[in-house]
Amino acid sequence: MKTVYRLNSIRKEYGSTIVLDIEDLTIFEGRLYTLIGANGAGKSTLLNILAFLLPPTAGEIYYDGKRVDWSRGSVEEKRKKVTLLHQSPYLFGGTVFANVAFGLKARGIPGEEQQKLVEKALDVVGLREFGERKARELSGGEAQRVAMARALALSPEVLLLDEPLANIDRETAGLLEAVIASLPSQGTTVVMTTHDPDHPIRLNGASILLEGGRVVGSGRTSA
Amino acid sequence: MDFLISSFAAALGMIGDFSPDVADAVRTSLSVSAGATVFASLIGIPLGLIVGLSDFPLKRLVVTVLNTLMAVPTVVVGLLVYGFLSRQGPLGVLGILFTPTAIVIGGVLLASPISANYALASVRGADPRILPTALTLGAGRFRAVGTLIGEIRFGILAGVIAGFGRVVSEVGVAMMLGGNIRGYTRTMTTAIALETSKGEFAFGMALGIVLMSVALFVNLFLGFLQRK
Repeated sequence: MKTVYRLNSIRKEYGSTIVLDIEDLTIFEGRLYTLIGANGAGKSTLLNILAFLLPPTAGEIYYDGKRVDWSRGSVEEKRKKVTLLHQSPYLFGGTVFANVAFGLKARGIPGEEQQKLVEKALDVVGLREFGERKARELSGGEAQRVAMARALALSPEVLLLDEPLANIDRETAGLLEAVIASLPSQGTTVVMTTHDPDHPIRLNGASILLEGGRVVGSGRTSA
Repeated sequence: MDFLISSFAAALGMIGDFSPDVADAVRTSLSVSAGATVFASLIGIPLGLIVGLSDFPLKRLVVTVLNTLMAVPTVVVGLLVYGFLSRQGPLGVLGILFTPTAIVIGGVLLASPISANYALASVRGADPRILPTALTLGAGRFRAVGTLIGEIRFGILAGVIAGFGRVVSEVGVAMMLGGNIRGYTRTMTTAIALETSKGEFAFGMALGIVLMSVALFVNLFLGFLQRK
């Protein structure tokens, strides 16, 4: 099985506080991982490092077998393959279409292709007719679905999700859960944080248990 | 009270008749203020964005200086620029003292700190999720910053409007650097000061009404843009 990430002695410190201290962690392609841990366990910090948004204080990360050097060009190239969906996603001003097309534009994908990919992504999250709606006028659940569509439109190699099923209505949570569960079979590696201990079982994923910034357990679970 | 009412009626009459003196003062005011605002925006907005988006030693000092510059009295700016542009000054050879250009230079110095501070405050008050969201969606640094600017554009635009308001309503710079020359450098504010001191209260009031209308129009325009 192909390795996507390998983390070696990763530490993240803020001043004298160590928020993450991972000796060794490997993430394989096309699998779904749930990061479980209490608030302050380091889950979001780890996601931000995996998203190449936050460099670690010490340690090495290998992505796709190559050591990450954290130079601007290198991380910008990797961010085109890895997308993070924040817990409380930000939608830009403008239409839903413009939001979902944002990453496609950044990749220089032509207009017609953009149109197709945006429509397909909105279809997956059940918002096909929402393209011309103003993003700021959506409900919380709709906004979460648009943010998911925005990430899915990019077909990332790795999709990182920070509490994607928290604070949304049951219907939206069910829909997003089904979408997330289907991603590994399409080749996308998924790493998501959750507080719900049932998620690893329902999503048929591997779980990584974080406590005080350290990995204290991991394993594969299935329904 | 009769004096105020009769002056007000006479002022409306002058505006209605479109008196050449009123028209000249309005035209000069608007043109020098617009020119100063454009140049001040070109200087102030990038400056505010750079200070807001970067970390460097003495940043706090720079922010304090920018804040302080917003409160500099207009006559001090007038005095400083006068020193440079007067015949004995280092730029006296240009011969632009008592011209609209001199008023524009003074206006730029007045409005730049306002544009810069509004841009800086807009960056500081921006949603902290904007840049990480743009970056994780694959935007490069420049596109991400461009996206941030787009999201805070109304705050930046408010700075442009406030800068225009400062320039169009000030007297010190226009008087000291323009010289209040009729039909050439006489602005609405310097005309109000002069005509009122001559006892032409109605004329001053006519210009005051136009000045207030300009301020109202500019704010309505800003509100219109925000609603779009």
